[in-house]
Amino acid sequence: MTLTEAIKITNRSADDHENPQRIHLVCGFTPLHLETFLKAYGRLRSGGSGISFIAGLYGDLAGNLERAGREASATIVVMEWADLDPRLGVRDLGGWGADLGPDIVTEVSGRLARLEQALIKTAERGSVAISGPTLPLPPVAHTPGTRASSLDIHLSEMVAAFFSRVTGMSGVRAVSRQRLDELSPLQDRFDLKMELFAGFPYKQRHADVFAGLLIDVLYPPAPKKGLITDLDNTLWSGIVGEIGITNVCWDLGRKAQVHGLYQQLVAALADSGVLVGVASKNDAAVAGEALRRTDMLIKEGSLFPVEVNWGPKSASVERILKAWNVGSESVVFVDDSPMELAEVKAAFPQMECLLFPAGDPEAVWKLLWQLRDLFGKDSIREEDRLRSASLRSAAVIGDVGEGEAPADFLAGLNASITIDSRKDTADERAFELINKTNQFNLNGRRLTEADWKSSLQQRASFLVRVSYQDKFGPLGKIAVLTGAMDGGTMYVHSWVMSCRAFSRRIEHHTLDWLFRHSGAKTIGFDYTATDRNMPLQEFFRGVTSDELKPGLMLTESEFREKCAFLPHRVEEMADTAATG
Amino acid sequence: MEEIKSRLNRSFATVFPHLAPEKIPGANMDNAGSWDSVAHMTLLTVVDEEFGIETDPEDAENLTSWQALFDHVSSRVSGAA
Repeated sequence: MTLTEAIKITNRSADDHENPQRIHLVCGFTPLHLETFLKAYGRLRSGGSGISFIAGLYGDLAGNLERAGREASATIVVMEWADLDPRLGVRDLGGWGADLGPDIVTEVSGRLARLEQALIKTAERGSVAISGPTLPLPPVAHTPGTRASSLDIHLSEMVAAFFSRVTGMSGVRAVSRQRLDELSPLQDRFDLKMELFAGFPYKQRHADVFAGLLIDVLYPPAPKKGLITDLDNTLWSGIVGEIGITNVCWDLGRKAQVHGLYQQLVAALADSGVLVGVASKNDAAVAGEALRRTDMLIKEGSLFPVEVNWGPKSASVERILKAWNVGSESVVFVDDSPMELAEVKAAFPQMECLLFPAGDPEAVWKLLWQLRDLFGKDSIREEDRLRSASLRSAAVIGDVGEGEAPADFLAGLNASITIDSRKDTADERAFELINKTNQFNLNGRRLTEADWKSSLQQRASFLVRVSYQDKFGPLGKIAVLTGAMDGGTMYVHSWVMSCRAFSRRIEHHTLDWLFRHSGAKTIGFDYTATDRNMPLQEFFRGVTSDELKPGLMLTESEFREKCAFLPHRVEEMADTAATG
Repeated sequence: MEEIKSRLNRSFATVFPHLAPEKIPGANMDNAGSWDSVAHMTLLTVVDEEFGIETDPEDAENLTSWQALFDHVSSRVSGAA
């Protein structure tokens, strides 16, 4: 975007918001246009919320980071070579002699160590987006510029080691150097004249691209949940109904490697918890046999549901969405046919529909990266690996009938629920559930990492995490509650449960445990009806006769009267300080 | 000339949204409260974008009023024509 466009966006933000979200912008130079672009991208990413930045002192990166306090909910750290040693910049004249190399290395090492210590404290308070040097080194080494100097290699090695350590801290994410290189070529970044005149070292285009990446890293978009793929000329090369099961291919020898790369990525996505379904117009028996070929890179068991028929693709997609119980906005559809993509897009306008460009390897490469971006996540947890298998078992339970499964069926599940009330604020899965669950969600409220950590640091607060498993396998951690005790009343501030865990009375067990464990006779809920939390509303209608409205209160006697059936075994991992 | 004035006024209104329109033609770094050194560099860039020109940062210290910017832009635009 141009600077004019960015200012117009931020002007709208200033008009609309009296209490903008505050972010520390930690850098050693005058942030000038970078700050403007950050505000603009921040507003676009937040859906309109205002963002203000707290900048520090010129030339004191580490000091600025050390002084960054609790007044901001997140931090952006922009590091350039001059911040690690002023002799690596252009505004100081400390010398570039060959004998200075060891001293520069020592200086850089010391400053990186100081930054690392400061980052440890900053990361405890909220999210951090950080970038390593984006600008070229000056001609400080004695070697010609065509050759990598030992100083250059040594400095890069130290910075790489620093990033390896700090990105291991919870909440610290680094900008991808590769992506920055793609979007902002090195030779188009440094504005020497502007740096000398105004202390701002970036060309405008670089400031624009860099700001967009920093906001992406700080506030990553919610990853998509499911991928629906076509088969012929997409998952493999060829039309299986015409050339036969053994002749569809995805290998280098038959010039079909791009399909192998696609399979390889889809398999990796499935391993990381992405739901992968198939929508194909084909003979079901033939396609099924092809999917069972032992040389497939993605195993048949990773694909669910497999909708192979001659009906419209949109109907297949609709059935897959129902089996997954996810919204179309969380799903990506990939097909080699523009017509099929258009048909599905017309039925599900919010779905991302992407062409598989089989004849264009460069375009396939872009597609693979696009899919990585759409499904990328910070970390992969056990629950991610369990997701597909648990949906299969949910489908079995769903086959019993609509709504809750019959009592004898539930009792026969041999299920156990584990309720963990230890207050682990570093539990990323719990934080993730709060921020991505829509249907069984007490109020739809999203939390920043800073909100999450500070609310759980309150003395009377509690955190309850619920896991489940039955004879079909584990679902992992599927529900989270937070709240606080106030006298004899318990107040629940957040309550979410994964849709994979519906119809099993886990929510009933959770409330039963809360009443028993806390000794509270009444539980108050920070309830708000949202467009999507109908399953939660349905649950409350089953356990209380009161009108559902903010400030909803539930007494133990009414709950017990309406909820006698608790079929599962409950195990506890309790922290006595948490709810008592 | 009127078109240049209008476009320059638009640039000022973008960078100084709280500056009353009637005060824009008489604005300078001394009488426009929010016109500090950072806003100055921003204004120069916005003016560059509006007129498709490239102002040397070294000229910035002489372009500290609406009138100076008007003269600067007029010479650059007419010089290019």
